[in-house]
Amino acid sequence: MENATTRQTYKKPFTKKIYPYLFIMPFAVLVFIFFILPAIATIAMSFTDLNASMKPNFVGFTNFKRIFMDYNLPQILWNTAIFAVLSLAISMLFALIISIATQYFLKGKVTAVIYRVLWLIPSIIPAVVYVTFWKYVFDPTEVGLLNSIMHQFGVESDPVSWFTKAAMAIVIVATIISTISGGMILLSAAINSIPEDLYQAARVDGASEKSVITKIILPTLKWPLMYITISELIGFVSSYFFIMLLTNGGPMRDTTTLSLYAYQQAFNLKYYGYGSAVSLIVVLISFILTLFFLRLFDFDQMIKPSRIED
Amino acid sequence: MMSTGTLKKLLVHTYMTLFTLPIIAMIIWYFLAATMNFTTGQFSMENFSFFGKPVEYAGVKLPLIWPIVLNTIVYSFLIVAIEVCISVPTAYAFARLDFRGKRATMKFLFLMRSFPGITLIIATFFILVQMNLVNTYLGVLLVAITGSLPGRVYIMKGFFDEVPWDIEWAAMVDGCTRFSAFKKVLVPYVLPGIGAIAVFSFLGAYGEWFLFKLLIFNDDMLTLAGYLSKLVTKENNIINYGLITAIGLFYTLPIVVFYIFTQKIFMKVNLGGAKQV
Repeated sequence: MENATTRQTYKKPFTKKIYPYLFIMPFAVLVFIFFILPAIATIAMSFTDLNASMKPNFVGFTNFKRIFMDYNLPQILWNTAIFAVLSLAISMLFALIISIATQYFLKGKVTAVIYRVLWLIPSIIPAVVYVTFWKYVFDPTEVGLLNSIMHQFGVESDPVSWFTKAAMAIVIVATIISTISGGMILLSAAINSIPEDLYQAARVDGASEKSVITKIILPTLKWPLMYITISELIGFVSSYFFIMLLTNGGPMRDTTTLSLYAYQQAFNLKYYGYGSAVSLIVVLISFILTLFFLRLFDFDQMIKPSRIED
Repeated sequence: MMSTGTLKKLLVHTYMTLFTLPIIAMIIWYFLAATMNFTTGQFSMENFSFFGKPVEYAGVKLPLIWPIVLNTIVYSFLIVAIEVCISVPTAYAFARLDFRGKRATMKFLFLMRSFPGITLIIATFFILVQMNLVNTYLGVLLVAITGSLPGRVYIMKGFFDEVPWDIEWAAMVDGCTRFSAFKKVLVPYVLPGIGAIAVFSFLGAYGEWFLFKLLIFNDDMLTLAGYLSKLVTKENNIINYGLITAIGLFYTLPIVVFYIFTQKIFMKVNLGGAKQV
């Protein structure tokens, strides 16, 4: 802003002015058509009764009223909360344990690299291939891994139908094992950036492993932990790919989350208007969560010190 | 007598091995299930007969796999090419050029990255219907690209930010225009970043099944992920794991090999994405 005065005397030729816009043009067009337009359309559609007949009528807040009257809602909200909170907590915990183990206790060891590469595999292989394994582990017939193990050890002779008994647990297990790696990479890198001297100084002072972890490692992880919390939580609240592939929301509605419900209402039952209204609720929840976590982790406080160090 | 140090290492290894067991089991299972006949307990390659004839399985009839393989390759490389061609100039503009609305656009980019994009899919579907792009590759391509662009631009911007301004000034002094400095000096400088987003784009495109499920109705237009999802989502208990794991292995092995070679880039991409939060 300081050179605003010098800019006034020199008038940029038109070709130079549009120049930057040429660079972002394709991006801007795509974002407009496939992001801004759908966002507006979602809002508009949520106030209509658009369905298979494809003739939308404005219905005001009927869809939103319907959501709150929907007898499925309590269970779906509960599923969403359980799925998101448990997935987030467990995957974060494991990401933390694995990154501390490989970057602190086994730092620089070949085994550390092997563990990390193995953990990355679930997130590398395509989802459709990945879920097959979990379908096999919890297969309700005697072919399934768990059932055949239980049979072999004589725990239970009849095959257990896991998907009817513990569908949500299966979905969560499959989800966390594939998301741990994302958090692990970020946390590992943060731990890796801690200078070796700090550990040595701590050791000289006779610090225990516990205090090294709580006093040196964990404080440096605040920033990546915030990033992971927000992005993974939004991911868990809004995306339903694994659930769709694993159980498709069933049995009954046991694993239907809010965003999967929106999808089903729109594309299975053709209630596009109602589905859009449910999507809007998902967006609203995501934004509230984001704001909440930014507040909780004291976003502004964290930005300042890093700027001074630069 | 074991020292506490070794004991600690042993403990760490024990826990890590236990944690990693599901993944090891998974890898072993894929190979065994695909190559073993479980009734006779012998090695067999009969599950791989899908190479020669169309797959028919539990009432699902699918076309021969080779055209699907071709679709997958073409689709993945198109995605990589387009995403790179769009995100590199955009990131350059954000990092290096001044224009009105830049700050607002940057903020919007940040918003987009944390926006649950999947919630827009119903409206996106309608826009595609209006544009007559349902059941076309173009529709899938455009939606897929828009979804991943914000992330790519952010990563790329991080790479451009790290290029010293001196380099660009020097090039301009030597008679380059802004654009030729971008092309001849900056782009070569950020090649590692371009490689990184290319790997990311490729892996994303290769695994894409949802958009194909939603937008493509012809089985012979599917890519491998959509092809396999037709077999996987049939029921909870899969009848023929042999066939599915065989196709799965054929589908996954190339990218695992690819991934092992590009692993370093992959780690860097994730970091680049997070550092600029």
